[in-house]
Amino acid sequence: MGKKLPNPRWTTIYGFMLPGILVYLFIVIVPLALSIHFSFYKWSGGLSKDFIGFHNYSQLLQDAKFWFSFRNNMIITLLSIIGQLGIAFVLAVILQAKWVKLRELHRTVLFLPVVLPAVVVGFIWNLIYSQNYGILNSLLKGLHLADWIRPWLDDPKIVIYSVTIPIIWQWIGLYLIIFMASIQSIPGEIYEGAEIDGATGFKKVIYITLPMMYDTLRVAIMLCIAGNMKIFDNIFVMTGGGPGNSSTVMAQYAYNTSFGKFQLGYGSAISIGMIVLSLGLILLSRRLMGGRSLES
Amino acid sequence: MNRKIAVAGVKSAANVLIAVFSLVSIFPILWVMYSSLKNQQEFSFNILSLPKSLHFDNYVTAFWDGKLYLYLWNSAFVSAISVVLTILIGFVSGYFLSRFSFRGRNVVYTMFLFGMLVPVYGLLVPLFIEYRNLHLLDHRLFLVLPEVTFALPLVIFLIESFMKSVPIEMEEAAYVDGANTVSTLFRIVFPICRPVLSTCIIISFLNIWNEFPFALILINSQELKTIPVGLTNFVGQYTINYPQLMAGINVSILPVIIVYLCLSKRIIQGMVAGAVKG
Repeated sequence: MGKKLPNPRWTTIYGFMLPGILVYLFIVIVPLALSIHFSFYKWSGGLSKDFIGFHNYSQLLQDAKFWFSFRNNMIITLLSIIGQLGIAFVLAVILQAKWVKLRELHRTVLFLPVVLPAVVVGFIWNLIYSQNYGILNSLLKGLHLADWIRPWLDDPKIVIYSVTIPIIWQWIGLYLIIFMASIQSIPGEIYEGAEIDGATGFKKVIYITLPMMYDTLRVAIMLCIAGNMKIFDNIFVMTGGGPGNSSTVMAQYAYNTSFGKFQLGYGSAISIGMIVLSLGLILLSRRLMGGRSLES
Repeated sequence: MNRKIAVAGVKSAANVLIAVFSLVSIFPILWVMYSSLKNQQEFSFNILSLPKSLHFDNYVTAFWDGKLYLYLWNSAFVSAISVVLTILIGFVSGYFLSRFSFRGRNVVYTMFLFGMLVPVYGLLVPLFIEYRNLHLLDHRLFLVLPEVTFALPLVIFLIESFMKSVPIEMEEAAYVDGANTVSTLFRIVFPICRPVLSTCIIISFLNIWNEFPFALILINSQELKTIPVGLTNFVGQYTINYPQLMAGINVSILPVIIVYLCLSKRIIQGMVAGAVKG
């Protein structure tokens, strides 16, 4: 291509782009600026508002509950990277084989949870975990493993894992499809060459498929981090962050502080902290895995 | 001979593994679907069995007494307006970003991409404060704005990358013939973009229909709530009656499932393209 249309007037271009830019300013940029502003105040939403400088931020740095919720985000992220990407990779490799039966059906079924609202996924898993009427416990009973039965969502020690499983369950399909597309784009000649050299199925996966998918894996890991830093809906409906704050994630903590205790100033500081931490992690992971842009 | 048996073994093991995962993905959804037709006694007697008689009254209760019809209507209202606006704004912005190089283009482009990257939940509190100060809380029309904003980046990106594959000759000819920008945009470019636009419509609809946190904090009145938020109310009221609860869940996801089953190929392609970009 390379050809470009003659530019219309500057005012025409911005005239057309204006609605998009305005709605963006109003919904993203102005609130961000506002929350930076309010984060310097002690404010519970009323008329009185005390300027307290960086006090909210120094409180945030020492706030054990905030860092605990960040730790929960990190646990969920790590488990998701292992669970979602690991399972999705294995399934993608298998689904690539021509001899697998009902490939189309599997693909459609495995992707279905992705389109469900996270709230509904939370409710469905509440039912699965339910003490007396849940699939999980009746399955364990059926397998004569009744002593494995736990109060899945009420035991502070395991609740964080219980809320992670639905997240993994919901998103495997997305990574599966991403990986399948990536595997399909690996040229067949590479495999043929390897076969002549005597590589078998498993070796082909380790020495060809995995390295050729490096870029995709990188993108997938970043997606996983970005997605889990903002996890909220399903935990909100499953446990509300409880029991205590054992399954509280950052977004839930910001929500509780702002709308439960109505500390809007501190809630703003938490929001800013959350954005900084998430963007920081995303950029860091991008650095660590090689700096090329995503657009390749 | 041994090798052949081993290969056959690996193949069937792989088939079984895939089948197990598919079952794990679909069974909870199916379970909720068929259990919603039982009554409470039948359900507590055996939670896994298929219903013996069909109790559609659970749906009647969920729909009318549980007020789900109201929430569905609100969601339909918000989604319809949001999708139209998202498509219009996204199409125009995506077109200009892909066709012209102008001053500030990269700033605008980065701003839109930032919207895909920024954890939207960090904006909950700030947006609530802004809306409260401007007295915009509790209006369905103003809930549309954040929905549009967070659906926009994907649409802009899909349009922009689609336009790269469209030759400019037709637009060039139109301009030479003296057509103005609006008629070129909507008479010539819009029809060309139809396939990608339909993908955009479906995916924006799904995202907006499913959106929870903004609908949760920006709307207070019971009668203005959208379905994901309304569903949490409903569940709060019917915690003991599981089949009833499941009927409610089904009502809320039925539109999503129907759209998905009809258009799964499009949805999968579009969501993957958008995800990889973000």
